[in-house]
Amino acid sequence: MTENSLDKEQQIVNHLVGTFQNLTGKVKRNRRIEVSIEKKQITSVLNYVKDHLGFIHFSHMSCVDWLEDGYFELVYILWSPEQKIQLLVKALVDRENASVENADMIWRQLNTYQREIREMFGVNFIGMKGDKEFILEDWDNMPPMRRDFNTVDYIQEVYFERPGREDAQNVRETISKRTGEEIPEVATKYSRD
Amino acid sequence: MPNDKNSQKIVDIIKNAARKHSLFVLAYGTGCGAIEIPPTMTSRYDAERFGIRGMATPRQADVLLVTGYLATKTLKRVIRAYEQMQDPKYVIGFGSCTINGGMYWDSYNTIKLLDKYIPVDVYINGCMPRPEAVITGFIELQKLIAEGKADGATKYKENLDWYRANQKKVIKNWNMPDYNW
Repeated sequence: MTENSLDKEQQIVNHLVGTFQNLTGKVKRNRRIEVSIEKKQITSVLNYVKDHLGFIHFSHMSCVDWLEDGYFELVYILWSPEQKIQLLVKALVDRENASVENADMIWRQLNTYQREIREMFGVNFIGMKGDKEFILEDWDNMPPMRRDFNTVDYIQEVYFERPGREDAQNVRETISKRTGEEIPEVATKYSRD
Repeated sequence: MPNDKNSQKIVDIIKNAARKHSLFVLAYGTGCGAIEIPPTMTSRYDAERFGIRGMATPRQADVLLVTGYLATKTLKRVIRAYEQMQDPKYVIGFGSCTINGGMYWDSYNTIKLLDKYIPVDVYINGCMPRPEAVITGFIELQKLIAEGKADGATKYKENLDWYRANQKKVIKNWNMPDYNW
């Protein structure tokens, strides 16, 4: 087995680029491939790599919130046990009224991940079955994992806060004064005050 | 239970002495603190020498031990368990999460001050408290019981409206039964 040969990975990328339109892909490193697709291609690409390229294992699905650019990025992480290659399939979805086609007929466990993403990011999966509530209960605010959800404002509004002690001291400073120890620059740089 | 002279009647002294030596803890854990309970209960620290032992259902238990952070979803269940418990009942807040939110202070879904929702008799601080600290907390509770000062349940009944208002602020869909203790 050659160490740095990426032939196997490159072959798969070439295969996928040749098969699908508007698909860009690259070999990230040994045993890891990343492809970007359009949102309408999700089910066909997932089906294709599962049936023809041996990516039969679904590892994870996650969602990245690109607030500044105005879209969500759905990431499907697949694994080929035969070739020992990990495949990341990425698709961009508009942030406004985000909706994607349901893909849980390909892997049943996708249903769980999709329900979580629907609850936490508010991405609508068209045609998906399953309860509206997944982890949260009686949530009536913006989906909490969105980056424009202001957590600190929310907790100040909803929950009580215990007032701090008036004689609260900076622990690090107090100890260093007592022992004459010098505080390293890194510690002051990341200190709370 | 104290009388006019702010001292206990003899019958109360006997009653409280009996109560403090048979604390049955509801075997229910939230958050990460529940992992400290098995060593506290088993042979190494052996909490049963103080009369502390686990109990299966809320109706049979005396002490509700809230072991760590409470999500609003869990809080609903904890309130329900607490209201089902029979008098005398006590609550121990366990770990810094119940005191001020701990490391979950900025979580959108966990409460920070337990004593705004249910009355807490004793707090044990630490993240997590070791079994020694847990036992010290229980001994503190025993002292309060012996002095007749562990009256969280009475406070809860007296200020039920205030507690309910706080609880309903967090639990939006309130579909729980009303108990008339």
